[in-house]
Amino acid sequence: MVQIHPGLEIIDLGLYLVKENIIIFSDFHLGYEEAMARGGVLLPRYQFKDTEERLKKIFEKIGIKLKAIIITGDLKHEFGTINRQEWRDVNSILNLFGEYTDKIILLKGNHDPLLPSIVKRKGITLRNSYRLKDFLIMHGDILPKNEVKEKVIIMGHEHPAISVSDGITTERVKSFIKGKWKDKIIIVLPSFNLVTEGTDVKSDRLLSPFLKDVSNFEAFAVPEFDKVLYFGKIKNLNSKQ
Amino acid sequence: MVEYKINPNTDEEIYNLLNPIVSNWFRKKFKNFSPPQTFAVKEIHNRNNILVSAPTGSGKTLTAFLSVINELITLSEKGELEDKVYCIYISPLKALANDVEKNLLEPLKEMADIVEHKFGIRVALRTGDTTPHERNKMLKKAPHIMITTPESLALMLVAPKFRALLKDVKWTIIDEIHALATNKRGTHLALSLERLQNLAGAFTRIGLSATVSPLEDVAKYLVGINNNGKERDCIIVNASFDKNIDLKVLCPVDDLVDVTQARLDKTTYRMLHELIQEHKTTLIFTNTRAATERVVHNLKERYPKDYTLNIEAHHSSLSKQSRLKTEERLKNGELKCVVCSTSLELGIDIGYVDLVVLLGSPKSVSRALQRIGRSGHKLHDRIKGRFLVLDRDDMLEDALILKNAIEKRIDNIYIPENCLDVLSQQIYGMAIEQVDHIENIFATIKRCYSYRNLSRDDFSNVIKYLTGDYAELELRHVYAKIWYDETTGNIGKRGKLARVLYATNIGTIPDESFVTVKLGDQPIGKIDEDFLYRMRRGDVFVLGGNTYQYNFSRGMVAQVVAAPGRVPTIPSWFSDMLPLNYELAMSIQKFRALVGERFSKYKSKEEILAFINEYLYVEGSTAEAIYNYFKEQFDYAEIPTADRIIAENLYFEGKHYLIFHTCFGRRVNDVLSRALAYIYSKLHHTNIIVSITDHNFYLQSSKRLGAAEGIEQLKKENLQKLMELAVDKTEILKRRFRHCAGRSLMILRNYKGQRKAVGRQQVSSQILINAVKRISNDFPILKEARREVLDDLMDVKNADLILDKIKNGKSYIKEIETKIPSPFALNLIARGFSDIIKMEDRLEFIKRMHQMTLAKIGQKYKPVKAIS
Repeated sequence: MVQIHPGLEIIDLGLYLVKENIIIFSDFHLGYEEAMARGGVLLPRYQFKDTEERLKKIFEKIGIKLKAIIITGDLKHEFGTINRQEWRDVNSILNLFGEYTDKIILLKGNHDPLLPSIVKRKGITLRNSYRLKDFLIMHGDILPKNEVKEKVIIMGHEHPAISVSDGITTERVKSFIKGKWKDKIIIVLPSFNLVTEGTDVKSDRLLSPFLKDVSNFEAFAVPEFDKVLYFGKIKNLNSKQ
Repeated sequence: MVEYKINPNTDEEIYNLLNPIVSNWFRKKFKNFSPPQTFAVKEIHNRNNILVSAPTGSGKTLTAFLSVINELITLSEKGELEDKVYCIYISPLKALANDVEKNLLEPLKEMADIVEHKFGIRVALRTGDTTPHERNKMLKKAPHIMITTPESLALMLVAPKFRALLKDVKWTIIDEIHALATNKRGTHLALSLERLQNLAGAFTRIGLSATVSPLEDVAKYLVGINNNGKERDCIIVNASFDKNIDLKVLCPVDDLVDVTQARLDKTTYRMLHELIQEHKTTLIFTNTRAATERVVHNLKERYPKDYTLNIEAHHSSLSKQSRLKTEERLKNGELKCVVCSTSLELGIDIGYVDLVVLLGSPKSVSRALQRIGRSGHKLHDRIKGRFLVLDRDDMLEDALILKNAIEKRIDNIYIPENCLDVLSQQIYGMAIEQVDHIENIFATIKRCYSYRNLSRDDFSNVIKYLTGDYAELELRHVYAKIWYDETTGNIGKRGKLARVLYATNIGTIPDESFVTVKLGDQPIGKIDEDFLYRMRRGDVFVLGGNTYQYNFSRGMVAQVVAAPGRVPTIPSWFSDMLPLNYELAMSIQKFRALVGERFSKYKSKEEILAFINEYLYVEGSTAEAIYNYFKEQFDYAEIPTADRIIAENLYFEGKHYLIFHTCFGRRVNDVLSRALAYIYSKLHHTNIIVSITDHNFYLQSSKRLGAAEGIEQLKKENLQKLMELAVDKTEILKRRFRHCAGRSLMILRNYKGQRKAVGRQQVSSQILINAVKRISNDFPILKEARREVLDDLMDVKNADLILDKIKNGKSYIKEIETKIPSPFALNLIARGFSDIIKMEDRLEFIKRMHQMTLAKIGQKYKPVKAIS
């Protein structure tokens, strides 16, 4: 467990609100392999099983019933012509959450327009954003319409990862990043999509309007279950001096 | 049985076989039959399988077609010509197929003119460029001779209407068979031929080859094996070397060790310029695309008056139009000089060329002869080739190629075997063709020379892969390509889209995605997308022999700045350079030993020069340069040979190098270096950097490595098993796996009307290989990727032979210490590294990098302090 901000701890790929006993996850993109298969890449399915196992380990580590679980968008990779199995997977994950909390809050992402139909069935709340004391929690693909009063913005969407390199070997690692947007502190969660690591925040072009310049953001990499490694500022990553 | 035909037939014997129309035409057009014709025409007429090896321009193609045309004309004159395909001609090149159409149509027309009526013999071209309209035309009126490519043949085999046309094929001609047999395209073709045989019954197989060795293996590949396990019969005709050849090695200076690059460049271009000016049309081979551009640029720059519109570059990155235009101008004699990479190596008729210059070693004797054979393109012309030496090791390769070519010793080719990815694709094709029994399918496959040793286990695993056995039952319909009913033993296709899916993804040439590298606005080359994925700003890499520093990329363009003389920070395993042939490497070793012996006996310079001159057929500055190269190595260190391998322990510019002087070619050195690096990485728990050339390799690490320690351990290991471990985490395995996954249709290029629906960035090679490793470490496609790396790309077999010699004391390692690289090691050290054998796993590596970062920022993370 590493405290990324007062009251906020990193537990594996989740962000835990200590006082509130709430955990936040982001960007599961369930059905990623099926989407690849529909695009002609016929890989076997591991994502669902791996996701389920990893979530259970996180819940076991916390050890108490949660007040709420918040998903900051993109629970499902894509909707459209998806098969029955994929629907079942989404339900199974929501059922799993249900075992550890009575309150599931889904925030709208840019990948899940059809989510309302699931939500109705499960009696889960769907929102654009969620405000809690100092924290504004949202997907992060669009800027909020109204003025942000909270001090800390927590978001997903970007799938942040860093590349660490010694000039010979390069490895990409999922990573929380923390920095500033205007006068707010912003924390971006890595994706819970276990098939890919995510976007290299130093080299790749970022999508979110909140992340125009991340060079002064700090990186907290998560290379394996609940292992958090602080890598300092992104602009200094892999520099030669 | 495969046997050579020793005695040619007389012209009279051949004329007696021919229809009077054909013989009249032939007499009018030619004086007499060419050597390949005197050997082969009668055999083809008698429907015997035959492999004809002869240089380009010796009338090989006409040899193959003469009997076919003869029979078709006879049938036509009797009114017995049916609407079906009698003969299939298969060529590796689409452009070549175009060429033959012309060469075939012209004789037919001339013969028709003699008798003043048409024969109604139709010739059609079926390639990837053929329009649906043209294909429909063929179906309405069957062509009698079908000209096609291996891929299009496989397509026809699953198209019911085309199959109907192919039911009675009598002859199959495979042109440039040496260029097919040696790679997976040829493996694919061999299976298609057996499938064709299932459809058409036995047909006569005619293979046309350049000068390669051993021809017996190519012949066996051509004809395959009978159901009873006996080799099918094949006659071999070797009409090689009948042309008059004039070869020379030219060295621009007499000392290649002690010369500046600027001076070497100046002299080289002057020599090149003089050669071009002394001849009518010169064709230059440079091996790489970048060098091609560089040579054209330099000639224009240095001799602006002489080179304007009369010089052209020709390589595979140029547009098809521009290449065709250059070929056309070359044929019409409008060009003084054409510079190409390897693209003009195969037999497109390129017209009048009176000199071929090889700039950079062609790495094998047969490749050299193939290239030089592009000059003097008429049977009795002299062929003329000049090797222009670029550096010291190049010089030795060129000199030994010259010797072997003159003494008619051709190096061996290698035919890949048991390729499971190609097999997957072809079994899918067979299942699409029809429902068939598993034993029939297995028997068909085993008739191919390339699969004669295929194990039942490997076959069963491929079937399991194709039936989607690796996916959960419920989702199997997504993954399964075929069904297999164990009770009936039958196999058939799955899914309505099978045929379309197969047809749009067929072939063996990997679907690579390239990014253009630009220096400002100037494009300088292309690199693979996977390669770009690994690059960070500031990395230095090699492209076409020059070093560049990577800046950034936008879309499909990577921006770089020139970084001359900088040591690369990124391994160069992506530059797929031609490897030095093993036999040629061994002949260099033999020469090294002979010269070394003379030096150690302190023979005079004159004596040694005389020996070099006599042994290598070189003179003047070339002999002098070879002498100087060996003299410096002898004076500074020792001359390595195959039996006395020198291990040079070099401490240079703060780095420890352990150099092995192993001139066995890169395919073998790749194995030896990685095996040793793996051993050292385990012994010392450290990463080992390796660099590999055709002549030697080094291992580099943070501490000194002793040669004996590694060699002793290596002697105890099973090389094959050790290498499977050593390549397991390498980039090259990931990259080859992606290719194999493409060939076995695990990754589809075209799917449901979308081309490349899934972006490559989304599915890195890493994700792919991780996923299949979880299925099984023996998943057939993964197994194939390993085989491809170890057997096709590298050469474990010969490396094992060398290791055996070390084990039983026939050769030994001698370790020496140096403070600057010995002359034989200079090229290696200058080159930058090739790959790294990693000790750490992913997590260890990330932790180490984390420790380094912490040391740099000087503190642990304190959350409250960090921001605010």
